[in-house]
Amino acid sequence: MSETIAAIQAEFTKLRGVRSTFTALLLFVPVSILVAAVDGWSAKGAIESHSPALRAGFTPQQAGLDGILYGQLALIVFGVLIVASEYSSGMIRVSLLAVPRRGRLYAAKMVVTAAAAAIVAIPVTLVSYLATQLALGPHGVSIGDHGVPRALAGAVVYLTLMCLFAASAAAVARNAVLPLIILLPMVLAGSHILSILGATKAIARYFPDQAGTDLLTVNSHDTSFGFAVLLTWTLAASAWGYLRHTRWDM
Amino acid sequence: MIEVQNLTKRYGQNTVVNGLTFTVRSGTVTGFLGPNGAGKSTTMRMMLGLTRPDTGFARIDGHAYRELSYPLRQVGSLLETSAPHRSLLAADHLLWLVQSNRIARRRVHEVLEMVGLTAAARQRIGGFSLGMTQRLGLAAALLGDPPVLILDEPLNGLDPEGIRWLRELLRRMAAQGRTILVSSHLMTEMSMIADRLIIIHHGHLVADTRMSDFIQRHGRTYVRVRTSEPELLGRELERNGAALTPGSDGSLEVAGLAPAEISRLAAAQGLSLAELSTHSASLEDTFLAVISQEGTSTHV
Repeated sequence: MSETIAAIQAEFTKLRGVRSTFTALLLFVPVSILVAAVDGWSAKGAIESHSPALRAGFTPQQAGLDGILYGQLALIVFGVLIVASEYSSGMIRVSLLAVPRRGRLYAAKMVVTAAAAAIVAIPVTLVSYLATQLALGPHGVSIGDHGVPRALAGAVVYLTLMCLFAASAAAVARNAVLPLIILLPMVLAGSHILSILGATKAIARYFPDQAGTDLLTVNSHDTSFGFAVLLTWTLAASAWGYLRHTRWDM
Repeated sequence: MIEVQNLTKRYGQNTVVNGLTFTVRSGTVTGFLGPNGAGKSTTMRMMLGLTRPDTGFARIDGHAYRELSYPLRQVGSLLETSAPHRSLLAADHLLWLVQSNRIARRRVHEVLEMVGLTAAARQRIGGFSLGMTQRLGLAAALLGDPPVLILDEPLNGLDPEGIRWLRELLRRMAAQGRTILVSSHLMTEMSMIADRLIIIHHGHLVADTRMSDFIQRHGRTYVRVRTSEPELLGRELERNGAALTPGSDGSLEVAGLAPAEISRLAAAQGLSLAELSTHSASLEDTFLAVISQEGTSTHV
């Protein structure tokens, strides 16, 4: 056990030291909060001018969670890079010389990825919500409104699982390129488009990001379904990544 | 002590390491030699648990590398293909290594000092020269003060001063009773560093011997003779059982006769000698001779 704790400590030092990985994690903070603020500010303008640009079903509560939907791109890049940078640099061999039990190294990596994502996601989710409400001015609502605390907690769970999913995908691919060109467009647009088209709507529910989005929908009825789907994706990807990691032979 | 028992590794049709068995003893520096593609690096990676053997095993002081709980305290290693991440600071690279194996943190500064990188501790590894990267790799290998060292081409990129430093360090560590396995293609350096040799070719063992025995047994020793009448002297020497090879500059390379005998025969012919010198083969000559023999015998 103490070997695993030592490995976790070492992984934290690596995270802090490898610039690209650490930068991606930090970028999550300003992207989320800025988008949240701009979103609130433009919604305020739309409300006050009775603009048709305000989307149907707009609620200030839900708007408070828009920022992190964009911020998650940085978090996905972070998840991919924390694993892929080991392979691209050749450091994976040094890591395995220091921690030769493959399962231990993999577990340490995933624990650090999840912990880093959660530690950053908690304050950023809260601050983003508050930034949107602040920008909405008189139209802003309280953080204690019905369903909001649960949606915020769901958002933290969603962000952490998506980050782990990205890290697992990188462990499967053993590089950054493939996971990024699949995950980023999927999160940005792909499965969202599927969910709008009537024919594919039923399928889109089973995509990790769409299912996960149920987690951060205020007063969603599908929270547990969405959570189950996203968790299944994450665990499956993680297990596959683990197999690829243990069978890696140079 | 490192034991290698019946180790085999295939990549598709290609058998890179073929039934290799040998022991690396403690208290010596053992040179690991073989031409490019002989299987040296693959063998070292199997010793270190990075590559899975198809048959056989490697044990370090009785344990498989993967079973060691804090391996850096048992085995220091340097591999050609393993590199620290370019954007890490040198000190941070060593820091995560000590953390992963619960080694005292002061070792980071101690090993940086040992390899002469103290001033570069806060620099990013990406800006390092080949020699500095190699020194950092050696620092990482020394972190846990390990009783066993496995170093693949550690001399690469080192300047003459660095090579001398490493040679003395390895000799000193061997004298403390540690087990040291070093591969290198620099034969002259190897002949100054190693006491024992393990030579592999096409993935199997060619020699496992003391360095001096190896050169004595397989190397060509000859006497170089220079005279004004090489043909006359040559005939006379051959009549007395010598084997002759013409040297490049009109000299004769004589095998099978002692210098005193050559001198006596020359004097009997009334010839004076401009040179009479004994040459023993270098490790490089001997190695190449043995490898080329091996090459023909395995293809027959």
